[in-house]
Amino acid sequence: MSGKNAKSTTLARQERSFLRFTVGQRWEHAILLLSGLVLLLTGLPQKYREFSISQDLLSTPEQIFLIRQVHHIAAIVLSLLVMYHVGRILVLMSRRRLPGDLLPTMQDLRDAWHMLQYLLFLRKDKPRFGRYNFEQKVTYWVVFFSVAIMGISGLIIWFPVQMTQVLPGGVVPAAKLAHSTESVALAIFIVIWHIYHVHIERLNLSMFTGRLSEEELRTFHEKEYQRLANQSGEMK
Amino acid sequence: MRLRNLLFAAGLIACLVSFGFALSSASARPLPVNGEVEAALSLPQSGSQPQAADNGFCLSCHANEGLKVELDSGEILRLTLDADAFQASVHGANEVACISCHTDITGIPHPERTVNTLRDVTLKYYTSCKECHAEQFNLTLDSVHQRSLAAGNNNAAVCADCHNPHTQARMTDPASGELLDEARLHVPETCARCHSAIYNAYQQSVHGSALTQEGNTDVPTCIDCHGVHNIQDPTTATFRNSTPYLCATCHTDETLMKKYGLSTQVLNTYVADFHGTTVEIFNKEFPDQPTNKPVCTDCHGVHDIAKIDDPTKGLAVRENLLNRCQTCHPDANANFPDAWLSHYIPTPEKYPIVYYVNLFYKFMIPGVLIPMAILAAMDFTRKMINLSRKSKRVPAHEAPPISEAEAAAPEEIQAESVEPAAISEEAPPVSEAMPETPATPQTLAEESAAAPVEQTDGEEPTAPTDESKNDNEEAPHD
Repeated sequence: MSGKNAKSTTLARQERSFLRFTVGQRWEHAILLLSGLVLLLTGLPQKYREFSISQDLLSTPEQIFLIRQVHHIAAIVLSLLVMYHVGRILVLMSRRRLPGDLLPTMQDLRDAWHMLQYLLFLRKDKPRFGRYNFEQKVTYWVVFFSVAIMGISGLIIWFPVQMTQVLPGGVVPAAKLAHSTESVALAIFIVIWHIYHVHIERLNLSMFTGRLSEEELRTFHEKEYQRLANQSGEMK
Repeated sequence: MRLRNLLFAAGLIACLVSFGFALSSASARPLPVNGEVEAALSLPQSGSQPQAADNGFCLSCHANEGLKVELDSGEILRLTLDADAFQASVHGANEVACISCHTDITGIPHPERTVNTLRDVTLKYYTSCKECHAEQFNLTLDSVHQRSLAAGNNNAAVCADCHNPHTQARMTDPASGELLDEARLHVPETCARCHSAIYNAYQQSVHGSALTQEGNTDVPTCIDCHGVHNIQDPTTATFRNSTPYLCATCHTDETLMKKYGLSTQVLNTYVADFHGTTVEIFNKEFPDQPTNKPVCTDCHGVHDIAKIDDPTKGLAVRENLLNRCQTCHPDANANFPDAWLSHYIPTPEKYPIVYYVNLFYKFMIPGVLIPMAILAAMDFTRKMINLSRKSKRVPAHEAPPISEAEAAAPEEIQAESVEPAAISEEAPPVSEAMPETPATPQTLAEESAAAPVEQTDGEEPTAPTDESKNDNEEAPHD
């Protein structure tokens, strides 16, 4: 704002913003974020029991019960979210209205290769991305499969007796291992990949505001910008 | 004033000195063996009966067969001492005088009898033990037996119930202080005098049978788990919670376990698995809390611990293990016992699912996350290099800087921006401060709702000169 003198105001291009995420999608993200955070915070002390803070948290049967109860409630919330998300995908698919923007394509591999060359100073230009770039697709799919793994393994260690009625007993310790390891892997992934890209590389709050400015869309999702431009041109 | 201080100091010193004497005479009290007893006792009677302290003098009567007295309770108190047995005992060998324990006997005639039952005799004399065995005696004061005695149970064990003072053989190696194997072999029999049912179970167990049948002293006897003199109540939550560490004293001993081909991983695998992990925390935080999580003894048994391949009790037999599981997990079926890793560390043969899941993550985590971290770091580096180049170039050329990253993009866009400009005619102009107004009803609801917003630029913040000099450079926006 400070640099907004008279001259720049007169020369400023008209800026518009574009809807990137619907209110529903933003709510999904917010619930995912909150339930995931609660799950992580109540799960970590159960995994890393050698730390004194974990031992303080889990020092009585009542506290163990409480922290597990919170973990289970957050898990139910997340499960409902997953059901809504997958259900919505199925409904949209049945109506042939599911946008395929998030599906991985060969172009993503080419973009990743291009990006690597750019990062190695072998190319001067960044790849031109569509609605979602390969980094964002990786984020979505890693979270998708991690949540699936943790949901299934979590159910197994929550209900070991019922689950072993049909499954071999060995899946219980395997699920316990997968559940705790996957959670830490996902947490590290979120920090080094997702948080880096939306906070450090550039502050991208479109998942909360729902919108991308024209400038951002043009800079970071050029193909999408052109597609929209062409679309509105045709409509015109 | 001064005089008073002086007097006070003198008094204090006098007190301390006399206290010191009292202490030293108490602690330096000699073992009253035959020759010294006279001096130790300094009794008025000793003058008239100089030989009274001699054990031989006592035996001149008490070696006689059939010496006895009927107590008020009707019980017969035998007063005959087997002189040979006493001579063979540790007390006899060390020439401990009769009257060092029987302190009430100061001459002939003996004083009036005050005891009415046989039990009273034992309870009357056992405190004499502390004169020589103060350390052990003080430990017993902290024991479950002593607490029971204090609560009015006269049958609770005291020193002489386990160690008959007239026949007790030497128990420890005088050089090392270690319990002799011979003494160790007979420990369970001693406890069995009262705890016979437990002894019977112990005798059948893997530990007890080795001790009683093979004379193997590697195995634990009663005292190895319960302690010797300060025996604690084994029914408390504290004792139960500490069980894993109790068993681990032997079962993590490499040399001892190697001898019998047993695993030393039993404790760490227990702590790592479902049950032990909670018990471990309780042990560290509040060890007196009861827990419903099993400890060693809940699955393996307490005194009746069997070999793991024992057909009726051994936990390597699947049905036996399932039975154990079902005590807490009543609905468990035959698949369920595999949920417990049975103290094994997973290998491709034993618990392959767990082994391969572990292997997968061992490669997946570094294999995926490290490259991702490197990519993010490279991205950050390139971004910083771009920024520094940009800010360096600005003052030199006094021209709008175009970073390499943007070099291609804005130019092309500006050329193409005719079409979006067409939309923008319908959109409200920039001056109207209505950032989120949906302005283009003709577009899809989810996409491209145009609205005026401030210009933004992600790659800008560090160049202060930009603000004044570059008009068509985007205004900094936070």
